[in-house]
Amino acid sequence: MDESEQDQSSATKPDSYEAAVERLEEIIDRLDSGQAGLRETLDLCKEGKELVTYCAGELDEVGEGLKELRLDDLATKLDTASEVG
Amino acid sequence: MGTSVEESRLTPAPASRPGPNFPGPFAVGTYARKLQGWMRERARVQLIGEVTGVGRSKVQAYFELRDSEGAVPCAIWLNDLEKAGLDGASLRDGAEVVISGGLDYYPGGGQASPNFCFRATHVRLAGEGDLIARLEALRKQMRAEGLFELQKQLHRPALPKAIGVVTAERGAARRDLLAGLERRGWGGSLIWGFAPVQDRHAAPAIGRALQDLAARPEVEAIVVTRGGGSLADLWAFCDETLCRTVAMLRVPVISAVGHERDSTLIDDVAAVTCSTPTHAAEAAVPLDCLAARDSLERCALALRRAGEGAVETRSRHLGALARGPARALQRERGKLNQKIREIRAASERGLADRATSQRRIGTLVLERARRRAAGADMEKRRDALHRAAVALRAHEPERTLERGYALVEGDGGEPLTSAAEAGAAERISLRFSDGRVRARPEQRDEA
Repeated sequence: MDESEQDQSSATKPDSYEAAVERLEEIIDRLDSGQAGLRETLDLCKEGKELVTYCAGELDEVGEGLKELRLDDLATKLDTASEVG
Repeated sequence: MGTSVEESRLTPAPASRPGPNFPGPFAVGTYARKLQGWMRERARVQLIGEVTGVGRSKVQAYFELRDSEGAVPCAIWLNDLEKAGLDGASLRDGAEVVISGGLDYYPGGGQASPNFCFRATHVRLAGEGDLIARLEALRKQMRAEGLFELQKQLHRPALPKAIGVVTAERGAARRDLLAGLERRGWGGSLIWGFAPVQDRHAAPAIGRALQDLAARPEVEAIVVTRGGGSLADLWAFCDETLCRTVAMLRVPVISAVGHERDSTLIDDVAAVTCSTPTHAAEAAVPLDCLAARDSLERCALALRRAGEGAVETRSRHLGALARGPARALQRERGKLNQKIREIRAASERGLADRATSQRRIGTLVLERARRRAAGADMEKRRDALHRAAVALRAHEPERTLERGYALVEGDGGEPLTSAAEAGAAERISLRFSDGRVRARPEQRDEA
């Protein structure tokens, strides 16, 4: 994989939290193996940090306290909005 | 029935009248009585279904018996109801019953309207066995249609942002589900779709709530839950229409209906079945958010260490390489000095050894010579030696002096061998065999 391809892949947003965690575990395993060269190590660290940031953001989105909504209320709001519109 | 009713024809139809070429017309009252007789001759059967629209007159109770496929109007004389051992409260809307009887038709009269019904002669509440048999039939049919697999093929996100929940507004399941989500550390959006969970209105209401929740794009999983009960209590969750609706939803449905021993049809079609609302919370949010945060911190630390470690290790290696040549030179110099010391020591050892060896050889040679000298010609050699000593002694100056000669010496004792030297000296010394005489030359004669 050349540098431009790697930059492109590392900048791609993961499909899901679990996909991000799976890739993160692959990266940690590769780094733990000690077989990665310096360039690969630095690239993997960069990609891993981006994944950690993404995962932390996902956790933050569900970490601010439970928000309880009622389907009836949402439907009423929707009806009102469509009438106004 | 057509031929027997035909007999009741009172007057033949005028041949000239226009219209379809059917038999008749017949007197309707006669037709009605014939119809009643025909219906009552039909086979007596048992029907099972849900009671709805219960009403009573002075002599009979009437209701509809229905399921998702259709309904039949029913009636039972009150005395038959009493004989069946059911009071008014038992025959209620939503009750699952088994009725026995057959078709009946009341032809009406001058003031009364005609009425068709299934005349029940016996009624009983549906037992577990009846419901289980019906459930198994439905289960077999829906499994054969592949409806049990559709939900299970849906992707369930590990960390949904919004979850829909269908349950009773005041049920204990609601509280348990909230507690389960809290333990998970999950704080996303929870959309409640409240619905009755135990009567004939339950299944349609649950189905509507599910469809409305699934229509919201943010909802990533839906939990359907209620507490335990008898199979009759949970029967709404075995409703065929509801279960077909669940099977076709785009959002995974997590079923937590009843207790672990209870098995409803919605459990079969749902993506996941749970025994309690708490377990349903874990299935709806597979990721333990608290543990995930810890894990993420460990990952971040591992990445930081790996990055820093890779640079540090290599910089140390480079540093070691940079110091390498000087160290190598020093090392080689040390080796060289050692070699020199070894060579010197070896050389000294070699010289000493050689000297020892030569001394030993010399000793051997001398010994050998001495031994040779001590051999047979030793006497001869001694004589020759003696003669040589005598000859040598004859040439000594003392011997010459003994014969009467004198030796002229200078003042310093040096021999003066010519008259010129003696004449030139201030003082001379004449050495005889028995002593010296000092003299001063007076005249020098030329030769």
